Amino acid sequence: MKTLSLRNLAKTYFDPYAGAHVTAVHDVSLDVQQGEFVSVVGPSGCGKTTILNMIAGFIPYSGGEILLDGKPVVGPGPERGVVFQSFALFPWKTVLDNVGFGPKMRGVPKAERDRIAREYLALAGLSHAANRYPNELSGGMQQRVGVVRALANNPAVLLMDEPFASVDAQTRMTLQEELTRIWQERRPTVVFITHDVAEAVFLANRVVVLSKGRILDQVDVDLRRPRVWDDLVNDDEFKRLSARVLQMVRAA
Amino acid sequence: MFVAPLLALVAVWAVVVPLFQINPRVFPSVGAVGTAALESIRDGTLIAHVGASLLRVGLGTLIGIVTAVPLGIAMGVSAGVAAFLTPLFRFFSVLAGIAWIPIATLWFGYGFGAIVFVIFNAVFFVVAYNTLLGVKTIPHTVRNAAASLGAGRWALLTEVLLPGALPNIVTGIRTGLGFAWRGLIAAEMIATNVGLGYMLFVARDFYRTEVIVFGMIVIGVLWLLIDRLVLVPLERSTIERWGMVRRA
Repeated sequence: MKTLSLRNLAKTYFDPYAGAHVTAVHDVSLDVQQGEFVSVVGPSGCGKTTILNMIAGFIPYSGGEILLDGKPVVGPGPERGVVFQSFALFPWKTVLDNVGFGPKMRGVPKAERDRIAREYLALAGLSHAANRYPNELSGGMQQRVGVVRALANNPAVLLMDEPFASVDAQTRMTLQEELTRIWQERRPTVVFITHDVAEAVFLANRVVVLSKGRILDQVDVDLRRPRVWDDLVNDDEFKRLSARVLQMVRAA
Repeated sequence: MFVAPLLALVAVWAVVVPLFQINPRVFPSVGAVGTAALESIRDGTLIAHVGASLLRVGLGTLIGIVTAVPLGIAMGVSAGVAAFLTPLFRFFSVLAGIAWIPIATLWFGYGFGAIVFVIFNAVFFVVAYNTLLGVKTIPHTVRNAAASLGAGRWALLTEVLLPGALPNIVTGIRTGLGFAWRGLIAAEMIATNVGLGYMLFVARDFYRTEVIVFGMIVIGVLWLLIDRLVLVPLERSTIERWGMVRRA
């Protein structure tokens, strides 16, 4: 069953520096099934973040349409959870209150939203940090909070915008493994934006390669789960898929 | 050690005045100021002056904050309004306080109203301008995060804009209160018959330098107390805890 549907999506904006209209996204059509994990990979400037921002409702689109469960997307909304590269946590709220923010906005009473938040913090191994403030946590821990904050709101689709790009390489691998584990447990529908080919393949059921605002190709990833880097670095299928996607991205 | 430098200053004073046999009409001895202090505490005049001054500052500041913060947030949310009002607020921030005393006395007469207005005025423009800056420093992604978690307009205001702007609001209150405190003393010299400023001004007529100096000490110490007991704890429990400012 498809959840998210992009149809002939386009984005054109006026660039005051170039003094002209620039097309960032041309005619992108993509269906995402419920419970699917789709990575969108492409070089800088390929339009991947623009697409995510349009799905999130942060910027308007100039052509085509975005449907979520058949309904057109207008503006930001809680059925589309977002995980940001910069984490975008609320510094003035404890970790527990950050994660409970979505339920709070839905009017869930305090005791119940604390219970929900604690459940999701446990999922990310963060129970001990519930009463801390974000600035007291490492980058990796902050982004774990960012992920479960979005998940705790039970969104129909989880949009992730290069979420692990600003943490160190070792932490990134741990976060990627944790994300695949959480995905297996909860089966959220995910659209994951990245420029890192190995990351895209490691996480996804399907990798969409984007170039110059168009979909270049799509690659299904049938690697078994749970996915762990120690296994996959030497896995022939993983290497073959990564090489193929990398070739497309570099040719793009 | 916050008190040590102040005690050192008193020690220098205690040595210099007798050493150079300074005329008490020019500058009083430590002992004379101590006597004046005890006298004004005993006869209740000190508490009356301090009470009047604190009430005016408290009320003017409260009105200033309550009106300035919503306006500052409104300006921060609307780029057009902010662009239009920013030059005005910068202008009035510089002018805030003392310069308004003459016209305030014309509007409110000599007394409580004029002085509270001057305090309000000193706080209002600075706090409003800083609130505007505070709202503008909140990263767009944080506002987007709130919106994508289901925050409506009201929740965005109370959960994001207000706490996000708080570091700047506190800075504004600190600066504004500094202006207000100076404005208060000046206004009380002109426009009333009770208060610390009045206490200084009247003492001058009788060459009572010991009362003047004691009043100046009270003014300085009260400010330090307000800062240490109100503003610093407020910062510590909020914006420092959140990591939004670092203690210098």
